[in-house]
Amino acid sequence: MSRSFVPRRSVLRGALGAGALAAAAGPLAACAPGSSGSEPRKLTGTPSASAKGEITIWNRSGDLFKVFDAAIDAFRKAYPDIKVNHQAVDIDAKLANTLISGTDLPDGSFWDDAKIGGQAEHLYDLTDLIAPYRDKTSAYKLSVNTVDGRIYGVPWDLDPGLLWYREDLLEDAGVDPAGLKTYDDLLAAARSLREKNPKARPLHMEKDPFLGQLWLEMLAGQQGTSLADADGQVRLDSKEYRNILNWVRDAVDDDLVTHAEYLKQADLAALENGQQALVPWAVWWSFAPQQLLKKGKGKWRAAPLPAWTPGGARSGAMGGSSFIIPAKAKNPELAWLLYEFLCFKEPGYSAVYGPSEVYPGGLTTSVPSYGPARRPDKPLFEPVAALGGQDLWKVAVDAADTIPSAAPIPAWWAKSVDYLGNNLQRLIEGKMAPDDVIDDSTKKIQRNLVDRA
Amino acid sequence: MTSGTLTPPRKERAAPDSPRPTRSRRKPFLAPYLFVAPFYIVFAAFGLYPLVFALQLSFTDWKGAGRANFIGLENYTYLLTSEEFWSSLGNSAVMWLLIVPLQIVGGLAAAVLLANARLRLRGMFRVAFIAPFVTPLVAMAQVWIVAFDTDYGLVNHLFNLVGLPDIDWLQSTVWAKPTLALLFLWKTTGFAIIILLAGLQAVPGDVYEAAALDGASRKRQFWSLTLPLVRRSIAFLVVVQTLAVFQMFAEPFVVTQGGPYGSTTTGGLYLYNHILASDLGTGAANSFLLVLLVFALSLLSVRLLRSRDE
Repeated sequence: MSRSFVPRRSVLRGALGAGALAAAAGPLAACAPGSSGSEPRKLTGTPSASAKGEITIWNRSGDLFKVFDAAIDAFRKAYPDIKVNHQAVDIDAKLANTLISGTDLPDGSFWDDAKIGGQAEHLYDLTDLIAPYRDKTSAYKLSVNTVDGRIYGVPWDLDPGLLWYREDLLEDAGVDPAGLKTYDDLLAAARSLREKNPKARPLHMEKDPFLGQLWLEMLAGQQGTSLADADGQVRLDSKEYRNILNWVRDAVDDDLVTHAEYLKQADLAALENGQQALVPWAVWWSFAPQQLLKKGKGKWRAAPLPAWTPGGARSGAMGGSSFIIPAKAKNPELAWLLYEFLCFKEPGYSAVYGPSEVYPGGLTTSVPSYGPARRPDKPLFEPVAALGGQDLWKVAVDAADTIPSAAPIPAWWAKSVDYLGNNLQRLIEGKMAPDDVIDDSTKKIQRNLVDRA
Repeated sequence: MTSGTLTPPRKERAAPDSPRPTRSRRKPFLAPYLFVAPFYIVFAAFGLYPLVFALQLSFTDWKGAGRANFIGLENYTYLLTSEEFWSSLGNSAVMWLLIVPLQIVGGLAAAVLLANARLRLRGMFRVAFIAPFVTPLVAMAQVWIVAFDTDYGLVNHLFNLVGLPDIDWLQSTVWAKPTLALLFLWKTTGFAIIILLAGLQAVPGDVYEAAALDGASRKRQFWSLTLPLVRRSIAFLVVVQTLAVFQMFAEPFVVTQGGPYGSTTTGGLYLYNHILASDLGTGAANSFLLVLLVFALSLLSVRLLRSRDE
């Protein structure tokens, strides 16, 4: 029998020692989760036109990256001594972690409006720099980028909601699109379309819970409210949300709804075969007739959304993005110069929205949030052939002007989809009543998100 | 007078301050520690320290930045009174029921077949069973998404060919769990077969010869010899797969994102959702509750095995 070279007692002592070491590491580890809060860092100084340096900028990959790449080229010409490293990055996956860890940060990044409020403590306070442009910038975009009275994002695109409709089908059914002034008118139009075609389920209602909730927020924003108030408190239990949810229930009860996921196979089929003819959605739905629809190409048109009350606002925002500058960026002033150029200077915003190699007719999926860039008489993109040559620019900028101001989007917004987004789906499926959606969602959002924020 | 021979010669005794014997004693004492030190250092840095750190985190409200406030057992009481937490465990339990019994039965049947030397194309079957196990899960999950799509998926297409209606495989609360369970089975049954095959091959052949001489039928041999002799392999699989099912994350994350309506939010995915929401304290508490649960389930399996042995 071989004898152990290391006595068992020593092994145990060693193990206890390791345990003690680990226990001692615990209090030390307490230092890691930030021992103190910090004041927001203000970015105030604007560098001169002869500024020099190098910046790294993150953007989403895809067509929009190419569009921004071309616009950044215009910036390089205006500021030849600033080198811009423009990188395509999976921002949703990377940016939040990078901001928290503070390593390998870009000098600036594109980001969803809905995510900015939650990370404000890691971003530069841009209030002073945006001040000269404030009066001419969309109140909605300023409000969603504001936390505790300070602005943390450079407002970029504005995504007004529009009513997309099949002109030929409405004409056949004797519906005048100009007469769709309220949501009750919209229901009446849907009934007329179904009378003409019994297979029609004219109204699109979104099956994806996230997009469904974004859509709901567009309709709420149109009435001047949103899921949370300026203090982050839930305000779902309101007349405005009841209006929307009761309207949804009425449409469902009357069997007027195609319940499908945004531009997935079933949705496209219903759009092509005339089953769907009315889609209240953001301006970026213009992508469908331009890129995806075949039979329906040229037959769709855009109009302002109906109002919830006669004379009420005819649009709300659905989505949107801004630019942020991380508080630990190496060259924040130079990043600001770039974003000021892209958002507030004519050569910059024209380079993005105007005709480009990627979009020869211009970028038609949003409009700028800066007022002077949104002049109806100076369109940045051309009439759209896939919309029968309609001047989408005019319709979209007119709608954008009516979007009411909002409250900042709370950090927990995306998580609330697990409750409100899912319950909206249950309502559309006829499994829940409007009051139940409000009560259940409010209770769960309050307990799981607001109380733990 | 004492005899001088009883006293050992002075030169043979080690002087207390002599360096030579001390060094020779220390060498064998230190050497093993030095050899095992790399393991302990790595284990302490990447195993023990994160564990202790996470335990500490579970008593705080840390959001990934800013101050970490000590909040005692609040994260644990929140979870234990949360409908979503129990629902995630319920989802994992249903997945366990859909996966583990089927995998053990199917895996054992496949292993018995593969252990049969007379089976034709045995090598090809072995490769076919093991291939999914070594294929990246995300790639398989993408195949699943396409195959089980309601509108243009292959599975519904085949259903339609035989006159069956479309099924909302991944979008209905009834079908999403079985569809994910099937993916998990496809992915991991190869591993189960390897373990069971190893167990079967460890059974001495003369046991079967003796049984055959005694007139035991094939069926009797299976129930009275094969099954009892691979029981330890089965118990091992039950423990390992219980751990895997309760920690299941990638499958629902890629295929259903926990939906529809949270019906495929497993314990592992629910934990991740806290981390994603920067609620690291609750995430850490959730992980410890899962550890306790899985530990209890594993202990139960081992106890059941031991009582059978006794």
